[in-house]
Amino acid sequence: MSADPTRRRVLAVAAATAAGVAGCAPGRAWPWATPPTQAADVGMLKDMIVAENALVAAYARVVSAFPVLAAAAAPLLRQHQEHLAALLARLVIPAGAGPSASAMPRAHPAAGGFPASERAAVAYLRAAERAQAAGLTGRLAVATPSLAQLFASIAASEASHAALLAGNQR
Amino acid sequence: MTGTPEHSAAAGALQSALAAENAAIFGYGVAGAYLSGAQRAAATAFWNDHRSAGDTLAAMLRARGAQPAAAGDAYKLPFPVHTAHDAVSLAIFLEDGVTAAYLGLVAGGGTGLRGFAARAMQDSAVRSSYWRGSCQAFPGFPASPPGTTHVQLVQ
Repeated sequence: MSADPTRRRVLAVAAATAAGVAGCAPGRAWPWATPPTQAADVGMLKDMIVAENALVAAYARVVSAFPVLAAAAAPLLRQHQEHLAALLARLVIPAGAGPSASAMPRAHPAAGGFPASERAAVAYLRAAERAQAAGLTGRLAVATPSLAQLFASIAASEASHAALLAGNQR
Repeated sequence: MTGTPEHSAAAGALQSALAAENAAIFGYGVAGAYLSGAQRAAATAFWNDHRSAGDTLAAMLRARGAQPAAAGDAYKLPFPVHTAHDAVSLAIFLEDGVTAAYLGLVAGGGTGLRGFAARAMQDSAVRSSYWRGSCQAFPGFPASPPGTTHVQLVQ
C-alpha cells in the first residue's frame, strides 16, 4: 500500500500550520476563545455566595469556641444556610468554575481578630451581619429586579439578626 | 403628569408602600391601646417610625408630580384584637405587610429607589423581629422564594 503522495503532503502542511498556530504565528484567534462577559449581577451573586459562606463559617467558629452560644446561634445559622441555598439555586456554575472574584467588602471584620469572650463574639457576629446587610444594600442597582428582591430580603433578614443579637435594643 | 412609563411604575410602587404605611399607622393605634410598659413604648416609637416613613413617601410622590393617596379612615382588622397577645400578633401582621410593600418597591420602583426600599425593609424586619422574638429568613416574601425548597445544601 503506497500512500498517496499528494494526500501525505496536504496533511504535512496542515500539521505545520497547526504547530505554527500553537507557536503564535500569524493567524487570528478564534472569536470564541475569550469567554463571554458575564452579567453584572452574576458577579454580585458569586460575591454574595462567598460572603454568606464566610458568615456561616464565622458562626461555626464562634459556636465551636463558645458552645454556650450554640442555642442562640442555631436559628440564625439555619437561616444563613437557607440564604445560601436560595443564592446557589440562582447560580448556574459551569464545570470547573467555582464562585470567585470579590469586590464585596469582606463579610466579617477580621481586623480585630477572633473574639476572646462570649460578649465579644456576639458583637463580632452582629458587626458581620450589619456589614453584610449594608454591603448588599449598596449594590442593589446592578441586579435584575428579581435578584434585587432576593438580595434585599436577605439584607433585611441579616439586619434583623443583628438586632436580635443586640437584644433588640433600638 | 410627568410621563415616562418607568416614572409612573415608580409612582405606583411608591403609592403601594404609602398605603401600607398608612394601614400600619392605623393598626398601631389599635395595638397600642392593648399594650403596656415596654411594649406600649415600642408601639408608640414604631407608630412614629411609620408616620415619618409615610411623610417621606408622600414627599417622594409629590416630587414626582403625583398626588399621594389618602389614608383610609379605618381598616378591617385581620382578626379580633382584645388582648396584649392579639395586639402583638397585629403588630407582626402590620410589619410583615409593610415589608412586603417595600419588597414590591425594590423591583418596581426603578434602580434609583432600591437602596431606599431595602433600608425600609430592614427597618420593618427589625421591628417585626422585636415582636416575634425571632427572625425570618426571607422577610417580605409570602413563603420561601422559588428555588429554595428542593435545593440540597452540599456541606
